[in-house]
Amino acid sequence: MTATQADVPDVPYFDLADPSFDVTSELVHAARDESWYVHTPYGLAVLRYNEVGALLKDRRLRQGSAAWPAHNGIHSGLFTDWWNDVLMNLEGEDHHRIRRLLNPAFSPKVINAMVPQFQALAEELVDAFVDEGRCEFVSQFAEPYSARILCILLGLPESEWQQISTWAVDLGLSLGVTFAQDLDKIHAALEGLYGYCNELIADRRDNPRDDLTTRLVQASRDEDRLTETELAVSLVFLIFAGMDTTRNQLGLALQTFLRHPDQWAKLAERPDLGRAAVEEVMRVNPTITWITREALEPFTFQGLEIEQGQTIQLFSHSAGTDPSAMADTTFDIEGDRASHMGFGGGVHHCLGHFVARTDMSVALPLLARRLRDPRADGPGEWLPMSGNTGPVRFPITFTPGA
Amino acid sequence: MRVIVDRALCDDHGQCEIAAPNVFRIGVDGKLEYDERPDPSERDAIEEAADACPLQAILVQE
Repeated sequence: MTATQADVPDVPYFDLADPSFDVTSELVHAARDESWYVHTPYGLAVLRYNEVGALLKDRRLRQGSAAWPAHNGIHSGLFTDWWNDVLMNLEGEDHHRIRRLLNPAFSPKVINAMVPQFQALAEELVDAFVDEGRCEFVSQFAEPYSARILCILLGLPESEWQQISTWAVDLGLSLGVTFAQDLDKIHAALEGLYGYCNELIADRRDNPRDDLTTRLVQASRDEDRLTETELAVSLVFLIFAGMDTTRNQLGLALQTFLRHPDQWAKLAERPDLGRAAVEEVMRVNPTITWITREALEPFTFQGLEIEQGQTIQLFSHSAGTDPSAMADTTFDIEGDRASHMGFGGGVHHCLGHFVARTDMSVALPLLARRLRDPRADGPGEWLPMSGNTGPVRFPITFTPGA
Repeated sequence: MRVIVDRALCDDHGQCEIAAPNVFRIGVDGKLEYDERPDPSERDAIEEAADACPLQAILVQE
């Protein structure tokens, strides 16, 4: 029998369906001291570092998002067909086969070679507003940076970033609470992206180039290749998964550094700390605040009986700041901290993490050098501090730096 | 060829097992087990595993 609230009165209940619920709040920290898990309307939520780490990699659990369309009453159509086939929602050998074919295109060697292009892009974007001493960070930096990085990666003309970004934003509505109402818009975006990606695939087959799209078209392993459908599904998925996440994580990074101005000043002087800064930001302020898993079989974990089909939310910020797992939880880009859960983990560990790590580790020291003493210019506009979070608008002022 | 995994870095995600299942595997305890002296025919798969490791904890020596 699954534990319910009534069975275990000491285990707290979080109303995760309430958009004002803050997963980084004192309430969550206090509950973490009392119990490794809590109940929510979306299943169990796990709060502590060791338990989150173990369950993230536990093979008795599958990735939990496959059932998302069905939970929203959507059982067929273009979106469902795509969703069922994307890497994230495949399991077992079906997943491993696609992952093996996609992996080499994301190797550190390939991504590191793009660093000069990432630097030039970041400088160009900052040049456009730096003399004004103020900017709206999302629309003037985070969004064009993450969208144009994706264009660089896939080998698309950078001038097309706004169209790609618009489709990605519309497709991203599928993750929101208004999924069912937005279905027409989501399907239109998916059709647009499929059309675009199919043309791209056909072009790279005839005219191979030094880009990720070509590498995927040519990808092979043990005589196996991606089919035309798998290629299109994967490219659409990369655009979907790579854009919002980086944009949001850059905004959250800036939010964290605004609370720690000494660390921002240090990063300006020490660009070699860029990589550590990315890790530290993702430990305390990750854009993906819960990672969902679903039990494939019944099992007992830490004395708790988990039923088959049980949904489990793994809380990344709570785990990353758990005082029972690390001696010091304060934000310190020179600190020696346990690895974070911001890229998920186990067989579903984020495929694009080298891209995200590399482009953010280029951007953050560069921003620290050129945007000195940044301050919030009004409250901005923020997604709920739950689910996939980040700024919608984040106006700041700063002292221009060289 | 010798395979060395830095155990201090390894987080047991198991991406190496996906890339090179004949060399790396996650045991029932959730911990990585691997063949330190694998067959040379596994070379390409092992290099893909080293690249795919999120922690970059795999070293291949001649």
